[in-house]
Amino acid sequence: MPAALNISHLRKVYRSGTVAVQDLSMSIAQGDFFGFLGPNGAGKSTTIHCVTGIATVTSGTIEIFGIDAVKNYREARRLIGLSPQEFNVDQFATPRQIVDWMGGYFGMSAAQRKSRTDMLIERFDLTDHAKKSFRELSGGLKRRVILARALIHDPQLLILDEPTAGVDVELRRDLWRYLQELNGDGKTILLTSHYLEEVERLCRTIAIIAGGKIVRNGPKAEFMSGGLEHAYLTATGAEPDHIAGAAA
Amino acid sequence: MSAETSVEEIKLHPMGINWIGLGTIVRREVSRIMRVPIQAFIAPWISALLFIFIFGFVLGGRIKEIGGHRYLEFVLPGILMMNIINAAFLQSTSAIYFQRFLRFIEETLVAPLSYVEMIVGMLVCVVIRSIVTALGILVIGACFGVIAVDNIFEFLFWVVAVSIIFGELGIIIGLWAKNFEQLNILNVFFIVPLSMVGGVFSTIGMLPPYLRFLYYGNPFFYWINGLRHAMIGFHEGPPVVGFALTLGLIVFLSLATLRLYAIGYGLRE
Repeated sequence: MPAALNISHLRKVYRSGTVAVQDLSMSIAQGDFFGFLGPNGAGKSTTIHCVTGIATVTSGTIEIFGIDAVKNYREARRLIGLSPQEFNVDQFATPRQIVDWMGGYFGMSAAQRKSRTDMLIERFDLTDHAKKSFRELSGGLKRRVILARALIHDPQLLILDEPTAGVDVELRRDLWRYLQELNGDGKTILLTSHYLEEVERLCRTIAIIAGGKIVRNGPKAEFMSGGLEHAYLTATGAEPDHIAGAAA
Repeated sequence: MSAETSVEEIKLHPMGINWIGLGTIVRREVSRIMRVPIQAFIAPWISALLFIFIFGFVLGGRIKEIGGHRYLEFVLPGILMMNIINAAFLQSTSAIYFQRFLRFIEETLVAPLSYVEMIVGMLVCVVIRSIVTALGILVIGACFGVIAVDNIFEFLFWVVAVSIIFGELGIIIGLWAKNFEQLNILNVFFIVPLSMVGGVFSTIGMLPPYLRFLYYGNPFFYWINGLRHAMIGFHEGPPVVGFALTLGLIVFLSLATLRLYAIGYGLRE
């Protein structure tokens, strides 16, 4: 059974010459709930952008369920749903339009889009806001629209780039439950977050990226002996081993 | 494609043309145009109305017939072509730049859409906007007693072909531009001057011989001339040059646009 996501020796150099990702390899098993951690500018979003086609790949390979994400990009992209960190939508469109259009881009028929959009609008409590323009919505509501958009085509691999940034506690808890349901239904989820509690609660496997490289990768249990925060700070070099040892 | 498509199904049945995706690009753009109807349609119609009124109606009354046609009939195809070119160019530059500026171009980049589908989707919107603009100007012309489309197929050819050329030029500028100022460079320094000296208001015979290169060396002249032939049957230049130039530009610009999409120029990080 191929991995849901297999990245091999990925390297991404921007036109400015900045090396954002260097020789990054990692694999996410089908059905896993995968936490992808790292400080700002470590290369998390760049890696996600390479996987989803927002950024070009300088070298290396990316496979989605065994499908080459560069050579057979159309087939690969049908399997991915992306909730990006930034609100990359037409700010003047309504939530219903935003979700429906995304379904259209994925080739869903009008009937499929209607039923799925209705379900997601209701699921994310957007019914009262479905006909407002996106820019009129609060930060939490905007985040819900972005999540609904990512789920419109019922993707096999859901990539969530800081999905709970700026949302209230209720929505965060509700979203956690929903993500656990999706994962329970067999969907593979890749989650990046700065909330370690979130990753600790949801994920089964964790990778930590720093300076464009994976510095630690393994089952969550391996990170938990001294606490995830300690493991994270040590792996990223934010807390040198001798200080961490003294603190312990 | 269903919402529940499995990995196995996707591997077994690679995607053909994504017609629904292409149609969605058109739906989304039409929705965007309808949010700015004054900018998209009313402005060019008012501009055309003023040109027709001043040059065709007020001044035209003092000018003799040209090739057996009233001056108003003579200038209308040029006014129409200027507005089609503007509509086509503004549609694609604003669409692409707006998508890049607000980053929602990423919606199409992460979707299973081919580059050809993305470009064709944009160009369909360009042609729709040009045709609606053209129809409005024809109605204005009719209000001044000018109802003339001699050859509807030739008329449609020029409207669609020239829209595609300027739609593609607009896409290229929209991909290249780093700010709103740069979006207008081609319009200010190329489109407006060349269309003004492209035979909208006068024939070649009205120019002194040493200035006639302004027409013969000007691609806008062949497009205005072609549309004038389609509308009133009057033409001055060899039609074959106009057709060859137009088709050649469409092929060249299509390949250039496709190449820019393929390398992700202005689109992908």
